[in-house]
Amino acid sequence: MSRIKTTVDFIHAWQCPDEIADEVEAELSFHVQMRTSANIEKGMAPHEAQLAAWQSFGDFDRVKVSCCEIKRDFPFDLKPIKMGLYIAIACLAGAVALIAVNLPHHTPFGVLWQLIAIAVLMRAFLIGRKKQDNATK
Amino acid sequence: MSKAKAGLLQGTLDMLILKALFAGPLHGYGIGQRIAQISGDELKIEEGSLYPGLYRLERRGWIESEWDVSANNQRAKFYKLTRAGRKQLIIEEQNWERLASATMKALRAN
Repeated sequence: MSRIKTTVDFIHAWQCPDEIADEVEAELSFHVQMRTSANIEKGMAPHEAQLAAWQSFGDFDRVKVSCCEIKRDFPFDLKPIKMGLYIAIACLAGAVALIAVNLPHHTPFGVLWQLIAIAVLMRAFLIGRKKQDNATK
Repeated sequence: MSKAKAGLLQGTLDMLILKALFAGPLHGYGIGQRIAQISGDELKIEEGSLYPGLYRLERRGWIESEWDVSANNQRAKFYKLTRAGRKQLIIEEQNWERLASATMKALRAN
């Protein structure tokens, strides 16, 4: 499945959950019908064949819910998105630090900028260190 | 191993689905039948558990689906292997062979 189709399917699953649920139900019901027919061909009575088909399928509602949930799951790997976020934070920290060092330090505004720069850089450092620790574990 | 006790790991079921679709497009019921057939009826899976697996594999891009008309003239959703799915099947088979061989080696060790 292409990324575009995956994205369209994901949006569709959120926009039309009832339609997706009906589609899943139709698919699962087809399975039970096929199993029922196979059981009848083996010599079972229609009612018995249907009962056996439902039993061999398992929990129909649970399967239906699982399938619908998978359709609504975020389809892409979050790692590159997170990485992008960290890069954006680092860029922001750099920009803040650049602005801070170029401001006159004796004004309250300049001091405030410096404090913000220190806080952002500290946060970026801590996130980076945590990521590194997780990667080495 | 008794048929009743033949439980399947998640990855194994995924591999079996890919293998079942290797021969051509099938609907969910057909995939279950094909797995039973290629395993000589040794692997019995709870039929419903097949579907979340199919949806996951489709999400990963290893299989794709399309509604069509089945042999008995009913509307059914057919699945087929994608190019990425074929590559994945080869990887899964190689991994499985390595794992099986290493496990056998460990079991035969004195």
